[in-house]
Amino acid sequence: MKRLATYLIVLSLTLWPQMDVARAVVESSDPPLAQQAQGTEPLVIVVNRSNPVDNLSQTDLRKIFLGNRSHWADGRRITLVMRDPGEPERKTLLHDVCGMSEEQLKNHFLHGLYTGEILVSPKTLSTPAGVRKFIFNVPGAIGYLRISDLDNSVKAVRVDELSPDDRSYKLRVSTLAVN
Amino acid sequence: MSRLFKHAFARRSVYPLPFLDRLLTVASRHNATLLLFLVCCGVATIGAFVIRDLKDANAEAQAMYAGSVRGLQRIGELQYDAQETRRATLYALTTSDSNLQVEYADQTREADQRVKDAIAEYGRQTKQPEEAILANRLSRDWANYLAVRDEVLASILEGSTKEAVTRDLSQGVPAFDRVRNDLNEVKRLYAEDASRSQANLAASSRRSSSRLIGILSFTFLMSSAAVWAIQRSRMLSTIQLAKLQMEFVASVSHELRTPLAVLRSAADNLADGLVVGKAAVKRYGAILRHQSHAMGDLVDQILLFASTEDRENRYALHPVEISTILDSVMRGTAGLIKEAGFEVEKRIDPDLPLVLGDLAAISQCLQNLIGNAVKYSGDCRQIALGASLADAEHGSGPEVRISVADHGIGIEPSELALIFDPFYRSPRVRAAQIHGTGLGLSLAKRIAESIGGRLSVKSEVSAGSIFTLHLQIAKGKEAQTAGSTYRQPAPSNP
Repeated sequence: MKRLATYLIVLSLTLWPQMDVARAVVESSDPPLAQQAQGTEPLVIVVNRSNPVDNLSQTDLRKIFLGNRSHWADGRRITLVMRDPGEPERKTLLHDVCGMSEEQLKNHFLHGLYTGEILVSPKTLSTPAGVRKFIFNVPGAIGYLRISDLDNSVKAVRVDELSPDDRSYKLRVSTLAVN
Repeated sequence: MSRLFKHAFARRSVYPLPFLDRLLTVASRHNATLLLFLVCCGVATIGAFVIRDLKDANAEAQAMYAGSVRGLQRIGELQYDAQETRRATLYALTTSDSNLQVEYADQTREADQRVKDAIAEYGRQTKQPEEAILANRLSRDWANYLAVRDEVLASILEGSTKEAVTRDLSQGVPAFDRVRNDLNEVKRLYAEDASRSQANLAASSRRSSSRLIGILSFTFLMSSAAVWAIQRSRMLSTIQLAKLQMEFVASVSHELRTPLAVLRSAADNLADGLVVGKAAVKRYGAILRHQSHAMGDLVDQILLFASTEDRENRYALHPVEISTILDSVMRGTAGLIKEAGFEVEKRIDPDLPLVLGDLAAISQCLQNLIGNAVKYSGDCRQIALGASLADAEHGSGPEVRISVADHGIGIEPSELALIFDPFYRSPRVRAAQIHGTGLGLSLAKRIAESIGGRLSVKSEVSAGSIFTLHLQIAKGKEAQTAGSTYRQPAPSNP
């Protein structure tokens, strides 16, 4: 008995640190964005400078990025600009705006295009500069950029009347993955 | 001198260039190389003009070449960038990769910016109104094409390839054709401008060639004229010398023949016993002595002239008193003056300094001048002999001037420069049958220059002449030690 108790004590002392690390990994894999304000930066929704839209609601954003809304109010066709799968910006948009995983989004567009509910699939660009240039060249384009990637070639729009500078602006992306 | 030659030529034909010959004679008197120097100056000046002209033509050609190269390069770049703008747009059609499409969009925008800059530069450099209008039209047409290009590009990026192609064919191609036509027009205007520049350059080149030919011809003519002038002046000098020598021989012969004839006649009379009586024999003896002295004097003068050919270092110069000189001269010419019945008026300033010279040489010089004065005084039998202290004309301090003045026939102004030439005798004098060899003044001048002095003359026709011997003043020790040795006539060196 005594020997069994000693074995259990040694075993528990040996495994305790590993259980701590495992707990930390589980906790960090899905952290609430609001709790990471210190290590994040705003993810800005950007459109062509000729686009008259200045504000979009969270609902509008969801419809637009899911392809459910194909034209702007002035009749110009909406062109979606996304980053490559796996990029933090894309993850943030899928999570916070579309409420979908990558797989779900893929299936959504495949189904929409097949049924004709969605006319054009999103354009995928691999760099923030590519996103800026695309939106600069296409009047109906909409995309997203870190605020640190923003410049005057595109126009930032407010989300639910909140500008990216507001503290309560909800779309945020981790700064850890910038580099 | 020139008259002599005019006469010489007049015997053969009517010589058309008497003035030129006179000029050449004067030139040859000073230095024939002066002509060569003038020609060289002329050629150097002309050469400078030619070089400047060639430099201008070269600079003009280089400027045109540089302008042509720059212009062609500018037009070529403009056309290339315009094509690149369209080409990059169309490249975007060839891929569905948005990243590549964006790169092509970048390329087309960079190219169109270069085109805009080039059009603006062309507009700034336009010279003709036609070019300014074309620059505005090109700018407008390019802006129209870019508007279409932007639409096409947007359609391509949106993925609407069909729409992009349709829009490009319906609007882009015509818009770009207008731009292409404008660029061709720019090229045509540039070609016209280049043709004008080329024509200007050709005209300039022709002008340069004409100038060059003209200048070379002028130089050739100048050189030929100079060579001809030099040859002619030498020939004239030779002819002149030969003629003078002939005249000299004739004159000397004449001068010798007269006393010879008297001597022969007197000798014949004595030999034939025609001279009877002591008084007659004595008179004949005096005649023989006088004539033989005259011949001896003539021969001495000729020999003296020949010996003074070399004027350098002929005399050992010593301080000499003026009074000693004048006494020597008066002694030497007393017989002549008395025989000719002349009076000599002396105007000697007191306290004149010692002069530097050779007593015998100075005395010979002044005797020649007095002899001339006696010979050419005509009816007036008065001669003035003066000595004074004066400042030298060339500013080298004071000098002593001894002058011999007469009231005779005088000298023509045109002959003043010739009378010191060896063997020269004025036609007026020869016409008056005044005997002489033409060596007296030349000899006097040589003597004056040999002792560091000079001889000058002032004369007026029919009023008389004044010949002045300018002598250096003895300075320093020489003057102080000028003692009794030089108060006496010193032996001459010649």
